[in-house]
Order: sequence, then C-alpha cells, then structure tokens
Amino acid sequence: MNRREALKSVAFLMGSAISATTMGVLFESFTLPEKEKNQVSFSATDEEILAEFADIILPTTASSPGAKAAGLGAFIPMIIRDCYPAKMQEIFASGLKAMQYQCSKEFNKDFLSMSITERQKLVTSLQEEAIAADKAPSFFLIARDLTILGYYSSEIGCTQAREYLPVPGRYDGSATYTPGQKAWATN
Amino acid sequence: MNINTNLKEENTYDAIVVGSGISGGWAAKELTEKGLKVLMLERGMNIEHIKDYESAMKAPWEFERAGKLTEEQKRTHPVQTRDYPYNEATEKWWVNDLECPYTEDKRFDWYRGFHVGGKSLMWGRQSYRFSDHNFEDNAKDGHGNDWPIRYKDITKWYDYVEKYAGISGQAENWPLLPDGKFLPPMDLNCVEKSVKERLEKHYNKTRILTIGRTANLTVPHKGRGSCQYRNLCSRGCPFGAYFSTQSSTLPAAMATNRLTVRPYSIVNHIIYDKDTKKAKGVLVIDAETNETMEFYAKIVFVNASTLGSTFLLLNSTSEAHPNGMGNASGQLGHNLMDHHFRCGAEGTAEGFEDKYTYGRRANGIYIPRYQNVGNDKRDYLRGFGYQGGASRGSWHKEVAELAFGENFKATMSLPADSWSMGLGGFGEMLPYYENKVYIDHSKKDKWGQPVLAIDCEYKENEAKMREDMMNDAAEMLEASGIKNVRTYDNDCYPGMAIHEMGTARMGNDPKDSVLNKWNQLHEVSNVFVTDGACMPSVACQNPSLTFMALTARACDYAVKELKKGNI
Repeated sequence: MNRREALKSVAFLMGSAISATTMGVLFESFTLPEKEKNQVSFSATDEEILAEFADIILPTTASSPGAKAAGLGAFIPMIIRDCYPAKMQEIFASGLKAMQYQCSKEFNKDFLSMSITERQKLVTSLQEEAIAADKAPSFFLIARDLTILGYYSSEIGCTQAREYLPVPGRYDGSATYTPGQKAWATN
Repeated sequence: MNINTNLKEENTYDAIVVGSGISGGWAAKELTEKGLKVLMLERGMNIEHIKDYESAMKAPWEFERAGKLTEEQKRTHPVQTRDYPYNEATEKWWVNDLECPYTEDKRFDWYRGFHVGGKSLMWGRQSYRFSDHNFEDNAKDGHGNDWPIRYKDITKWYDYVEKYAGISGQAENWPLLPDGKFLPPMDLNCVEKSVKERLEKHYNKTRILTIGRTANLTVPHKGRGSCQYRNLCSRGCPFGAYFSTQSSTLPAAMATNRLTVRPYSIVNHIIYDKDTKKAKGVLVIDAETNETMEFYAKIVFVNASTLGSTFLLLNSTSEAHPNGMGNASGQLGHNLMDHHFRCGAEGTAEGFEDKYTYGRRANGIYIPRYQNVGNDKRDYLRGFGYQGGASRGSWHKEVAELAFGENFKATMSLPADSWSMGLGGFGEMLPYYENKVYIDHSKKDKWGQPVLAIDCEYKENEAKMREDMMNDAAEMLEASGIKNVRTYDNDCYPGMAIHEMGTARMGNDPKDSVLNKWNQLHEVSNVFVTDGACMPSVACQNPSLTFMALTARACDYAVKELKKGNI
C-alpha cells in the first residue's frame, strides 16, 4: 500500500467526512497531461502556513499531537503537486493567497502572526463560505480533506490518535466495544 | 555434433511445465512426486518465499514514495492501473504493459504477473468447488459444449488438493456448492451472523449465507503458519498462511530433488515432431539475453495462464497444425469468458454499537447461487453468487458539515456509529464462440514475438443478470434488517474479475473441442493444458480450486499413460 493507497482506504473509512472533489481525485488513477503537471509551487513559508492551518483542523489534544507534528505542512503541497489536476492546483494556490490577503485585511497581520483564536475565526469564515458555495472546490475544502487523509495515514495519526495493530494474530468479529475506545488505524 | 548431443541431453527432462502459477505449481509437485524429472519454465523473475516479499511488514507510513505511483509507473502500466491492484506495495507483481502489449478489439483489462508463483501470489484465495449443476449447464441449455466430466470425476481430486493446500470453510450441504475437506472456518462477525440468521429464516433456507471458503490457513498446516489477520495478503505472506506456489507446491516439488526451475524463460512455441506426431520440446527465449534455446521432454504441461497458454498453442504452428497446435476443431482461441461483477447493494446495520472487531479478516461472506434452480426461474440463463461482508468504519453521521478542531478530531479518532454491510454479485458469463483471441502479427512485444488480440464482450444474458445482482442484494439486505440500502453498478469489462477462462476448451468430441477429458490435446497426446484455458464454462464460483483439481487429475493420468507407454 503506498501513501495514495493508504489515503484511499482512509478516505473510504471516512465516508462523507471527505468532499466529493477529493474522493474523485484520489480514486481516479489518471495520469496528468505533461502540461498540467506541477502548475504551482510552494515556498517554505507556504509550508509553514499549511502546517499551522492543518493544526487548526486537527490540533494537538490531550490524546495525541496534531497535524503539524504529523508533517502535514510538507504533505499537503506534495499531494497537490503530484495528484491534483492543474485546474485544482490553481484553485488551491490562489485560495491560499486569498486567505493571506484576508488575514491582512481583517486581522491586519499575516497568518503566522495570528493567535490560535484568530486563526480559528478565520477558518470558520472559510468553512461558512465553502458551505455557502455548496462545497465547490476551494482551498479550504482541499486543505481540510488532505489534512484528514494525511493525518490518519501518518505514524502519529495511526499510532496515537487511533490504534495501530500490525499483527493481530486472531479475529474477533463480535469484540466488545468500550465507549471511548479508539478506532483501528487500518482495515 | 558432440556439443549439440551433450546439450540435447543436458536440456532433456521427463516433463516440461510451462508456467509456475497455481496450476503450474501443482503440475510440478505432482509430476516430480510421481518420479519424473521436471523442468519448470517461468517467463519472469524468481521470487523467493518470504525474502522477496519486501513490503510485507511495512506500516502505512513506511513507504518510500510518499504519495502515489510515480508518473513513470503510470506511463508503463496503462492497463494495470485501470483498477486497484497495482500499487507501491504490490508493484513488483504486475507487468509492464509496454513490454508485452496486446490488441483490444474491445476493451479487455488483462492483469498479468510475470514471476515465479504467477498469480498464486496475487490471487483472492476464494476457493469453491463446481457442482454437477455447473458441469451440466452447457448440455442442458445448449450454450457451449458439454463438459466431458461430471462432479464424480473430480470429487476425489478436489479432496486431494484441498487437503494439501489448506482451505478453511464451513460445510453447508448446499447442492450448488459442494462441501470440501475444510480447515476450521473463519468467524462471521456479529452483523454477518445476524444477517445470516434473518436471511435464511426469511427465505426458508432457499438461500444461505456462509463464511468465505478461502485458501488462508486457520490453523498451522503442513509446516506453514496460520493466518495472522493482518489483511495484507496482496504483499505476499511472510507466515506462508495462504496458498501460493512458494508457500505450498514449490517446496514439495523441490524436496524431490527432481525439479529444475528456470526463471526468465519465455516459451515461444512448442516444437512438434511430425514423425512421432508428438511434441518433442519447447523453444525458449531468455527474457534477459534474448538468446533462444530448446528444451526437450516426453510430456509438456501448459500452465501459462488462460490467455498465455492459448497464445502458446496458437503460436505453435507446423505443417500438421497450420492454425495452432491442436486446433483442427477451429475452437482454439474461442469462447473466452470471465465473471462479471462490481454490482450489488449495501446499507447500514443498526443495533451493534457495543460491538467492534479485533483483527482484520482477509475474507468475507459468500451466498452461493440459488437462481434458476428448483422453483427459482429467471429471464436469463445460469446465475450468480454474492461476496461481501460487514464492517464498522469511521463514518460519523453527527459530524457537522466541514467540521474541524478539537471535537472533530476526537470524533474522527473513534470508530463509526454504525456498521455497514454490502453484497457484491459474481455472475456467470456464457461461452460465446465469437468472444475470441487470435494472434496479431502487426505488433511485436519486447522480445520480438507477435501479440495477442482480444475481442470479447458481455452480452444480453449478463446485462439482465446484473439487474438481479443489484435487486436481489437489496431485497436480501432489507429482509435482514439492514437500513439505508442502496444498489450500485460500477460497470464491468471482461478481464476485470481476473477470472478469464476458456479458449482451449475440453470436450469429448475432437471436432468441437481442443482438449479431451484428461486435459490432453485431442491431436497431440503428450501436451496437457490444465489452467483456465481448458474450461468449457465458468460457473459463478471463483475458479482456481478447480484448476488445481484438474491439474492433479491430469498429472495422475499423464504419468500412468507414460508408464504404460501410451504417450
């Protein structure tokens, strides 16, 4: 299982938690036309912003480190460049810029200088926009999807947020579920 | 002259087995154990058991190419990427399509693996017997030719291969799915148990649900370890817990000291001796050096995969066999079949919130065929079975739209509120003469060989059956208390089930079949074909177990005939 396969199976488990846009991209084994490859590039600052953004989606909690610690800052741009068609790459990249513009306009500072509360407020507004736009492809939608997928297929996501059992050794299909018990990381 | 004589001696065996997959491995085991000196020719690389399953123990985050298949892999594997099986963890099993192209007169997804072990390393492991219904259907409804054997002819061979390979399953006494010599069955989970009970009650046992019969060991067996419930079979099993050439038949054949395995050996054609009217050997192209060489034997077993075997026969032309070896009937290459699947229904099971699974079972449930038997009449011929199962995923219906943050993370780290249950049909495809393969000389593969052209499609009988495959599934799920039932048809093309069969069918009459009831060419008595090519019909059960049984049976016959001097 490669990362993409891992993502597919995680995505499958997620059901409707992931948008149709991302499901379509991950479940199509298309090859990008040469001219559509790597339309966009991401700077080190972009990666930092994406890591912090991902950490708003899935923050560090008492149970486990969050998305930033799981390496989502590098993961998101890698998947965008390798897996997404050019048009979606553009939507993602321009959405990332638009978000930064919104930071300076509404909060009068750049994303990385904002407090967690301010970032949460910003992301809530992006969430509301995405719902209003009927989940049309957007920066928020794609970044959130990839945060969820990348996190739950990372080592932290598999072994700390969820429970990873490499060699179960037996099968019990009527095991007691204790309320609060974590989900298995793989199926 | 001396050199040639020596070479000829050195290259001479009692038997040659072409191919090392499920049936080739069985042929090598049976023939060597019966005392023959055997050469097994495999066109691809060697795969050493356990050592060469490099990805088998890797965690999801340990793969090198974080992301996906490379652009280069997608370019070189345009067919293998059409469906799920080809990925980073399993990439070494699947062929580079550019090196071995074929012609698609109609879309046919041809999944191939060139390596020692063949598809025995990649198979789905579901192992079902055919019943007399299956052996008689062709004769009864007139599609295809009559099978030259009945269930009684193969029963003891099913017993024999099951006992050695290790098939776990539950005896059900279901006429369309004869019981076998089973290892203990895997468990149904709590939802599957509930569905089984309600479904069998609702249909008054005219339909049953059983655990899949699978070539995964539920207890240690013949020196092999039992299943560890990792559900990573597709990477090769380091515990030897599923049947493969490597885990099962190859060690037995090697133990006789009479087996030689030669990887990277593409058999281009079978050499025909017009004086003896027999095959005298095979011509091999070394896949690495392109060098050609001949090997000789008293008998040749052709186990190169359904279409690989038929290609080899079609490509073995001579004055006596201008249209391919053993093709006087004109049937060679015709009646290509596959199962059709990818449609059914699924829904959610309520009331099991206090239950979860431990371990990952690489197996599902099976509902054997019940259509067109007894009082069950349909507007199409033959029928289908279902594979499926229940699971508890991570879907949470209460999560707010596009939610994020601390609470969202806490919820997403828990299993789903409810279980889901699905049934997917596997349908029989009729044999149609016009569904065929032939050699296309306008293209060449990497080794300069002509390629196969495939002209095959599903027809009306299959299309009608698919309606029922969806509707029956929905009806059964609803009758079993499953909620939110929805049907699906994800479309299917021949080849996708990787159960391609036919094209060198068995039969009693040399005028309309290629092989006799012993899988022996009617026209060339020392050539046997015991893989999927031999099948006159495909039933709706997964077929590999039947290839195993036919192979063991044919080997027994071949060696007896050899000893009698008849071959």
